[in-house]
Amino acid sequence: MIIDRNVVIIGAGPAGLAAAVELSKSGVDGVVVLEREPYEGGILNQCIHDGFGVIKFNEVLTGPEYARRYIDEANKLGIEIKKNSTVISMSKDKEITVLSPEGLLVYKTKAVILAMGCRERTRGALSIPGARPVGVFTAGVAQNLVNIKNIMIGKQVVILGSGDIGLIMARRLTLEGVKVIAVVEKMPYSNGLARNVTQCLEDYGIPLMLSHTVVNIEGKERLKSVTIAKVDDNGEPIPRTNKKIECDTLILSVGLIPENELSSGAGVELDELTQGAIVDENLQTSIEGVFACGNVLHVHDLVDHVSSEAEKAARSVITYLNNSYKDHDNILVKAGDGIRYVIPHTISGKKDVTFSMRVDRQWSNIKLCFKNGSNLIKSFNYKRLSPSEMVVVNLKGTDLKDIDGLEVSIDEV
Amino acid sequence: MKNFFDVIIIGAGAVGCAVARELSRYKLDIAVMEKESDVAAGTSGRNSAVVHAGFNNKTGSLMAKLCVEGNLGFEKICKELDVPYKKTGKLVVAFDESDIKGIERLMDAGKKNGTPGLSFIDADAVKKLEPYVGGIGAMLSSNTAITNPFIYTVALAENACANGVKFYFDNEVRGISRKDGKFRVSAGGEYYYSRYIINAAGLYSDKVSALAGDEGYKIYPCRGQYYILDKRTSKFLNMPVYPVPRPGIGGLGVHLTPTIEGNILIGPSAEYIKTKSDYSVTQDVMKQLFSEAKELLPPISMRDVIRNYSGIRSKLVGPKVGGFGDFVIEESQVVPDLIQLIGIESPGLTSSIPISKKVRDIIGNKENLVEKSDFIGERKGVLEFRQLSTEEKDRLIRECPEYGEIVCRCEQITKREIMDAIENPLGVRTLAGIKYRARAMMGRCQGGYCLTRIVEILTKEYGIPVKEITLRGKESKLFTGKVK
Amino acid sequence: MKFEKEMTCIVCPNGCKLEVIQNDSIIVKNALCPKGEEYARNEMLNPVRNLTSTIRVLNGRLPLVSVRSSKPVPKGKLTEMIKILSEIDVEAPVEFHQIVVKDILGTGVDIIATREVLRDYIK
Repeated sequence: MIIDRNVVIIGAGPAGLAAAVELSKSGVDGVVVLEREPYEGGILNQCIHDGFGVIKFNEVLTGPEYARRYIDEANKLGIEIKKNSTVISMSKDKEITVLSPEGLLVYKTKAVILAMGCRERTRGALSIPGARPVGVFTAGVAQNLVNIKNIMIGKQVVILGSGDIGLIMARRLTLEGVKVIAVVEKMPYSNGLARNVTQCLEDYGIPLMLSHTVVNIEGKERLKSVTIAKVDDNGEPIPRTNKKIECDTLILSVGLIPENELSSGAGVELDELTQGAIVDENLQTSIEGVFACGNVLHVHDLVDHVSSEAEKAARSVITYLNNSYKDHDNILVKAGDGIRYVIPHTISGKKDVTFSMRVDRQWSNIKLCFKNGSNLIKSFNYKRLSPSEMVVVNLKGTDLKDIDGLEVSIDEV
Repeated sequence: MKNFFDVIIIGAGAVGCAVARELSRYKLDIAVMEKESDVAAGTSGRNSAVVHAGFNNKTGSLMAKLCVEGNLGFEKICKELDVPYKKTGKLVVAFDESDIKGIERLMDAGKKNGTPGLSFIDADAVKKLEPYVGGIGAMLSSNTAITNPFIYTVALAENACANGVKFYFDNEVRGISRKDGKFRVSAGGEYYYSRYIINAAGLYSDKVSALAGDEGYKIYPCRGQYYILDKRTSKFLNMPVYPVPRPGIGGLGVHLTPTIEGNILIGPSAEYIKTKSDYSVTQDVMKQLFSEAKELLPPISMRDVIRNYSGIRSKLVGPKVGGFGDFVIEESQVVPDLIQLIGIESPGLTSSIPISKKVRDIIGNKENLVEKSDFIGERKGVLEFRQLSTEEKDRLIRECPEYGEIVCRCEQITKREIMDAIENPLGVRTLAGIKYRARAMMGRCQGGYCLTRIVEILTKEYGIPVKEITLRGKESKLFTGKVK
Repeated sequence: MKFEKEMTCIVCPNGCKLEVIQNDSIIVKNALCPKGEEYARNEMLNPVRNLTSTIRVLNGRLPLVSVRSSKPVPKGKLTEMIKILSEIDVEAPVEFHQIVVKDILGTGVDIIATREVLRDYIK
């Protein structure tokens, strides 16, 4: 069965919902959001902790409450959200094949917004040596089991990775009576927000072992212990620093990967670094009419930024539907010294642009510089920048006039 | 009579299940005793999944003879039992002159072993077949194929079960005695009686043999570690590619093997170990495996790795002696009616049917085997939804909406397939059992998406308490209970 | 007696590194907003935290409902409150922001549901 639509949004998580609401508020019809779960909200449903919405709503909300704002809005606007519908493929001609209990549907659409979010990096992908007992879980899976399914995973936990999910789970498990023995982090600094180190670890006396990693997993059927070791500046284990920690559960919080299987299946060009689509200032991918936003584009720390980015993608879709993209952006944006990646990858130099980026290490007292060759276009002072906190900067079209290239870099003050 | 059998098979690996299926053609009461919670829990579920052509085995050995025979009959058995099979062919690639000599030796051995389909091809031909692999020439073995060894073993077992064979899981054999021409087997707290025992216990076949009174064997476990690469690398490899074996020169001689589902396997390594159950992967071996693999296939990177695992070979020769140990397929010389299948390492999978026929012959030489008239020769597995056309998928969903719910997103496995896997005829209810039958949790997210969904199906639809959900049975429990 | 402490503000993702000096009064440095100052003061005198957790649901489409404290609660009372939450359950349907526990431990703070849970009639 083939169904025609103006816009198909893949995913009714925070990105998809915000995009749908923005489109609908602007009067666009023929929009459908495809969601594989039986409910909307995406990952926010299992993020029962607070800290969401500080920027967007000036309130401190929990994940489900943040999602609820958009779900209520979407319902009020009568937006079509098809739940229990999994997109299994997308063609380069924007034909979207969907599996649902009603059958196999094919949507033919003018525009697509990719909002599929992320998956987690796994033990297999890390190649942690040792036995393969039960008791190793990624943090997101543990969070889903504990918060949604009412299933407890263990009694004595070690967490590898100090990203926000790992820190949040440290607190969550402790509150549910589990002993969290330590959080082990390979880098010399925590990968999560500073506030989470305070309210998740310090509050509960959970040790944070920086510059350490897990080098072996022991246990026959169920995990018995892990061996950790100190690592050097290159992340390599230092010999004779091995220490065994007895535990029955190892939680991995070791990175998120944008879920772009559908995108690459359609031929969307991906950035090796971000693992998300290569986009222009309109968040349009290499396929015309296909836009990306949220975690599927690049991994965010704050859902507030996800919503803003999704609203931007929606506005771009509106312009696109009105046939107003004549030229393609042709100014390459380069990630210079100190910058790990910057989005968008190309700009036109004619419009206001929101730049999102991450630095490559911890920096103090620096200038974030936008340069055209050796000309400094604009700079911003920062006391402190960390790779775990995405930087969002807005530049005006007037700032970017007449440039032929753009490099973003860190200069020491 | 309950617990009284004509034949007890110890071990439900590929060989044990092949014997079960073969003997189930005849009017015999047969039982399989398996110490783990599912079939193929040992070496049969942890290998390269290659159906070998037989050129790599010592001329004149049982291994060589049965491998060639097994290879030629494998496609047919896979059709009968609904097992995935693909005749990809295989390349043994030469990089220098001494390699070319090595190929000549292989072709010669192959010829002597009766392996059809061997030819030498030049660098251009190699490039046409495998554009990403280098080399100055290669031996092409057209008869080499790949399969799914787990499904193969499951299929043999399910078919045997359909023909009356009883399977006892979590039933480790702890004692074997003999009285009045009958065996008494002690397993799982009960006694079982049988006229014949087939020792197909793989890594523990020496132990089983000793239990029965024949102490003449020792198995030396030799582990092989593997990497599994993401399906997106499938475009880099069309068939198994091996470098020419270089005895005495360091390196692992690492193999690259595509799987039926489109992953690439790197490995195996080969290291003798102390414990038969030490399936660890080790840092040094993994490092070496990957660097050698990348030399053979440059476009792969560590980013492509989704998982690693290891398998253990049942070797009859130890590290000090080295060299070659042939299959042992014979009636014990010490204990009558004990049929020994010992030292079944590679090409055990390929040779499994011919081995089962030899077992039948051993019994057949001692007594008259009467064929069943109602033997069910075919078996159907879990329907692979992902292989259907768009129209077929749509039609199937309308008939059965459970096909319209994706449980494993990476491999596109539906709820109905998961349920079919849970409802398997052998009654296996472990997560690994579901994983191998339905191909769930084997994709790049390694269960990140589907684990919670499969658990929900097990608890909600089948009433299995959360505390009882295991990966591989016994103490491999995933959860401690409810949160609240 | 002078008392100095460094702390990370947890109110918003900025995570300002605050310097707090307690003498006769409390002086807070490096806060980018007044909420941070308030947080620092509380940390010295009466540390509070937002409590978020789950409560068991009976006859619902989901086994748990996520809940939060309507206001921050005294940090020292968290463990006791968590215990209370683990011992109660709530009957579906649960409405969004339904009060599940009123005035928990006499603090004047309610525990409210942060999502709805519909009733499961199929059971």
